Amino acid sequence: MPAKVALITGIAGGLARDVGRELQLRGFGVVGVDYRPTTRPLDYPATVYQANYNKTKVEDIFRRHQPSHVLHLGRVGNLKEQAGKRFDLNVVGSQKVMDLAVRYGARRLVVLSTFHIYGAHPQNHIPIGEDDPLRAGGDFPQIADAIQLDNLALHWVYRHPEVRTVLLRPSNVVGAHLHNAISGFLRQRVIPVMLGFDPMVQFIHADDLCDAVLTVTEHDAVGVFNVTGVGALPWREAVAIAGGRALPLPSSLAAAYLAVAGRFAPALPPYLVNFFKHPCIISDAALRAAFDWEPRIEQAEAVRRTVTDTRA
Amino acid sequence: MLRDLLGTVAEVPEIARAIDAIPTGVTGYDQWGFSPEQSKLLYSLGYRAYRYFRPVIEGIENVPSGRVLIVPNHSGQLPFDGLVVAVACLLQAQPPRLVRPMAERWFPTLPFLNVALSRAGVVTGDPLTCRNLLEAENAILVFPEGARGSGKVWSHRYRLVDFGRGFMRLALQTGSRIVPVSVVGAEESIISLTDVKPLARFLHTPYFPISPFLPLLGPLAYVPLPTRFYVTFGEPMRFEGPFDDEDEAIDAKVRVVKDRVQSMIDEGLAKRPGVF
Repeated sequence: MPAKVALITGIAGGLARDVGRELQLRGFGVVGVDYRPTTRPLDYPATVYQANYNKTKVEDIFRRHQPSHVLHLGRVGNLKEQAGKRFDLNVVGSQKVMDLAVRYGARRLVVLSTFHIYGAHPQNHIPIGEDDPLRAGGDFPQIADAIQLDNLALHWVYRHPEVRTVLLRPSNVVGAHLHNAISGFLRQRVIPVMLGFDPMVQFIHADDLCDAVLTVTEHDAVGVFNVTGVGALPWREAVAIAGGRALPLPSSLAAAYLAVAGRFAPALPPYLVNFFKHPCIISDAALRAAFDWEPRIEQAEAVRRTVTDTRA
Repeated sequence: MLRDLLGTVAEVPEIARAIDAIPTGVTGYDQWGFSPEQSKLLYSLGYRAYRYFRPVIEGIENVPSGRVLIVPNHSGQLPFDGLVVAVACLLQAQPPRLVRPMAERWFPTLPFLNVALSRAGVVTGDPLTCRNLLEAENAILVFPEGARGSGKVWSHRYRLVDFGRGFMRLALQTGSRIVPVSVVGAEESIISLTDVKPLARFLHTPYFPISPFLPLLGPLAYVPLPTRFYVTFGEPMRFEGPFDDEDEAIDAKVRVVKDRVQSMIDEGLAKRPGVF
């Protein structure tokens, strides 16, 4: 058995798969877990389980593999999942995974949260730091599970110093091989934009995020860190780069449009509509300082790479 | 979006040259939405309003390089005073200065305007945003009177209302100098006899001015008169002390700036040859 074993949740997703590949090349044994079936087999040696994070099977996996590093990248961002199931996976499941990391002596825990928890609000600071208030809960209660996950991990940072926990809050994660809401949204032919609004937005390409996750995994610093790509750009420019046709809608209609469009095509949940009206710009200065890491992929390039392979 | 809206606005070469001469370090957009390229069009549009008011600018050499808070009086119902000060800093300062005006907190909720003004460098009046910009050696244009100043009625013209403390705390925190500025002429551009507060509340605006020309001209009464603006930049002021001092201590420093601006206004009024 390798000296270093990484247990990665969300292994059916593109990001976790990439992280696992790189860790395996760096001498880690890789154990993947996902509540979804891993339809495409991994192209590197790894042990993969399908298990809900809140079930006892996860405990068996920890007992069997005794992971030295736990990477909880499997937050359920798929908002089509019912709220109850999201709560079970994101809150109860995350608590179980983090608890097991303590119990089985993992020395590193990396948890992937999201910048959505800051909310897009006209009175947001620019840029938002890690200590800023999480306004999203007031705007859309559907995000409650993500906020709880984030809070739990934050507790772990200070309550369990022996696990050396890092909590990452990435901006919009995009990539050609990603099937998350924002990547799918950018690939649409028609993309709604808010009439009279064009906020600055930030993306992080999956390659950059993968690199950031690998860096923090093999580092010793702890804490909560925003992570984003190089720069920022207006939403309409992102739409133009993606090659979509911008459909200007008043915000009242935009939420309805997303609700209807979401039934037929990949769409953002209607309650994220404010992210295309007001800015939510985060600062990654703390991450850069603590880990001497910086992203490489510019915003425009991140968007271009996300749509190129699929639209051709 | 702005290119579509402003496609017919011809770029003023003088404006473009001035913006090109400023080392903003921004290639596309900064994180607040400022775009050097798009700001050329917006400042070109602003330049037309600047010419309309035929400003007489004095003391522009008092605008220093590096971090600075430019602090004028506020008047005239619409922020043409801010526009004239910003264009003056761009065209008359040597080297050109691009000011970052601080807007009211509700500015991001204004459709279309929020986009246009952001591209031209306007930011929300948020202390952290302002601190970040000052630490990056920017010039901030701030009106400590806020909307209470711009909405003054005719009987209160050229009498400063209370200044907020925020600008002074920021100046102390970032070691920035303060340039006091007087703008004379804006009060007469759009005259307000009274402020109909219930109507303002209903329309979610900070005030609703009633122009004396309203019975005669209807909505055209709110078109600004071509008064001449007299803008004077005073010598930079530097303050020392803790930024988180008691309100009374900050107020004393704020009063020094306010008195300076008031005396500059009085001097400007005394020496201007006429309103037009």
